[in-house]
Amino acid sequence: MDTIRDLVTLFFFPGGLFVLALGMSYEWVDRKLMARVQNRVGPRWFQPFADIAKLLTKEEVIPLDGNGLLFLGLPIVALAGALTSALYVPVAGWHPAYSFQGDLIVALYLLSLLTLCTGLAGANTSDHFSLVGATRTLTQLFSYEAPFLLAMLGPAVMAHTWQINEIIADADGRWMLFLQPIGFIVALIGLLGKLEMSPFNAPEAETEIVAGALTEYSGRGLALFRLGRHVELVIGLTMVAAFYMGGVNGLPMFVLKTLILLLGLVGIQSLVARLRIDQTVGLWWRWGSLLVLAQWLVLVVWEGVQA
Amino acid sequence: MNTVPERFVVPIGPQHPALKEPGHFEFTVDGEQVTAASVRLGYAHRGIEKATEGRNWVQNLYLLERICGICSHIHATAYCLGVEKLAGVTAPPRAQAIRVVVAELERIHSHLLWLGVAAHEAGFDTLFMYSWRDRETVMDILEALTGNRVNYSANLLGGVKFDMTPELQDMILKGLEFLEQRTHDYVAVVTTDATLLQRTRGVGVTSREQVEELGLIGPTARASGALRDLRVESPYAAYADFPIVPVTATEGDLEARFVVRLKELFESYRLIRLILEKLPEGELQARMPRKIKPAETISRVEAPRGELFYFIKSNGTDQPERIKVRTPTLCNLASVCILAVGSQLADVPMILAGVDPCFSCNDRAVSIHSTKLGEKQWTWAQLRQYGIDYYRR
Repeated sequence: MDTIRDLVTLFFFPGGLFVLALGMSYEWVDRKLMARVQNRVGPRWFQPFADIAKLLTKEEVIPLDGNGLLFLGLPIVALAGALTSALYVPVAGWHPAYSFQGDLIVALYLLSLLTLCTGLAGANTSDHFSLVGATRTLTQLFSYEAPFLLAMLGPAVMAHTWQINEIIADADGRWMLFLQPIGFIVALIGLLGKLEMSPFNAPEAETEIVAGALTEYSGRGLALFRLGRHVELVIGLTMVAAFYMGGVNGLPMFVLKTLILLLGLVGIQSLVARLRIDQTVGLWWRWGSLLVLAQWLVLVVWEGVQA
Repeated sequence: MNTVPERFVVPIGPQHPALKEPGHFEFTVDGEQVTAASVRLGYAHRGIEKATEGRNWVQNLYLLERICGICSHIHATAYCLGVEKLAGVTAPPRAQAIRVVVAELERIHSHLLWLGVAAHEAGFDTLFMYSWRDRETVMDILEALTGNRVNYSANLLGGVKFDMTPELQDMILKGLEFLEQRTHDYVAVVTTDATLLQRTRGVGVTSREQVEELGLIGPTARASGALRDLRVESPYAAYADFPIVPVTATEGDLEARFVVRLKELFESYRLIRLILEKLPEGELQARMPRKIKPAETISRVEAPRGELFYFIKSNGTDQPERIKVRTPTLCNLASVCILAVGSQLADVPMILAGVDPCFSCNDRAVSIHSTKLGEKQWTWAQLRQYGIDYYRR
């Protein structure tokens, strides 16, 4: 019985197919909202599904220079990482499928795996656009990763546990957003960086380096990377909403809170121009890290006073 | 063991998302820093100059309009003014005024288009979408005036093709009112938006000396404090009767180029309103001779991108002996290679867009790049012979 339950969890709900479908739906919401803000019509609801379906049927061109095995393997690892992390977060307001002490760190690093794979995929070719894109992807990873991680650990410190399950139980009904406003803002903007959305889309700035690290990818590899990105969008939104917006108990709450968060992301994206990579790094290390460290100082002092 | 680091070249073009037309740029980069730049043009060479020699004066008007898809009217105006000078004919004042109205409408359309492209290069797609939406207003006006959205064909030798009816005037004024209000918003965005300013302020600074050295023209030069505007320096068509106030800035960076182009829009709105108010009465076309006696002339006009230069030579028949066109992009493009060196790779598309390049206008010269033949300049006869030999084989 347990085996069947595990299989369903892995492949259908809440992991696997359900997360993929949810990811593509959220991608559509993002694109549609963005289009409406920009006074465009935007795609129809099935567009992300159609994109992926089309890409999956296309021939995958493997460049001669670079490791072919790595070229094929990296997208799979990237998507697997994103899907695995979905098992530890309360997708759709459901309880996390699996849980153990410290799964917060594991989930966050599984999400970073996607970015790492993207960077490696870019470095695995001799295409100059890919190489510049890979350098930028990895540079950006090092700039937002630490502040984002610290911002996500803020609620964990208050809950005295590093288990997502228990943090959510602790944060349920407590709008951490008002208790740790800086942490929330850093987490939200860090999410933009993680998803390489404007203004942090220098790694895939089309007017400079075409498609960045993924320039050489076509067909299945590209589809898998994009699916990974879609899944990451959902998981990122889920985590920030669960930690900072009073938990995501039940499907209606989940949908409502994550969509509000997504609306915020779309608002930021549509209002800004792209930052240069040096400006991105400067922003994160000069402001992001300092702000989140200040937040931590307050937290630690407060915890000390309480104890 | 190679100790000399390999040159890492980022090619932009001939096909690249940053370019709307084919051109080829090679930027050698060290990390994100550009250390060398080179440009190669000619991908959109269409042989228009040569083709004019086989057509009569009237046919050439429509051919030359097709040099550029954005500033088609200004090409026709330069050609008409030149041919009229050769034939000793002056177009009636009403026709000249209408030419200026269309030219300024075209400038509005071109500058709004540029605003969108430049914003897109900076990754600011919202501004891109909005400016192109508003550009539709002026496109609609041009369509209502001339019947076409791209190649307006407003000019005739010796005059213009259509009259300005009161209904059309109403439509233009209504459109301008909307655009003027929107332009105020755009000026506010490009001068105050923090993220856009990070990409434009102090980027690609062109000094006043560089303007002289590189021979820059148009809004690119005006943004560096050089007053280069033929509408002021040597007024043509109706600009002598309806003078413009030139817009300049002193900073010379990309922000200044945004500001100069946007403020020129206000000047265009003002001028169009003034002309419509005081539109001279009279004929629309003067009579032109079919053949023109041997002579040569130079015709210069201010296109949206800068000075447009026409050399026209007649030989007594109804066809020109030679027409030479120099478009503003050619003068400004050199600055891209100079300014790109030492800047960030991410700024390069912005610097490139900053001069508002228009390649297909530009590609007319022939230079041969071939490893087999060596690099050299050929005469027309040599090139023709090479072509014949090539296909005979």
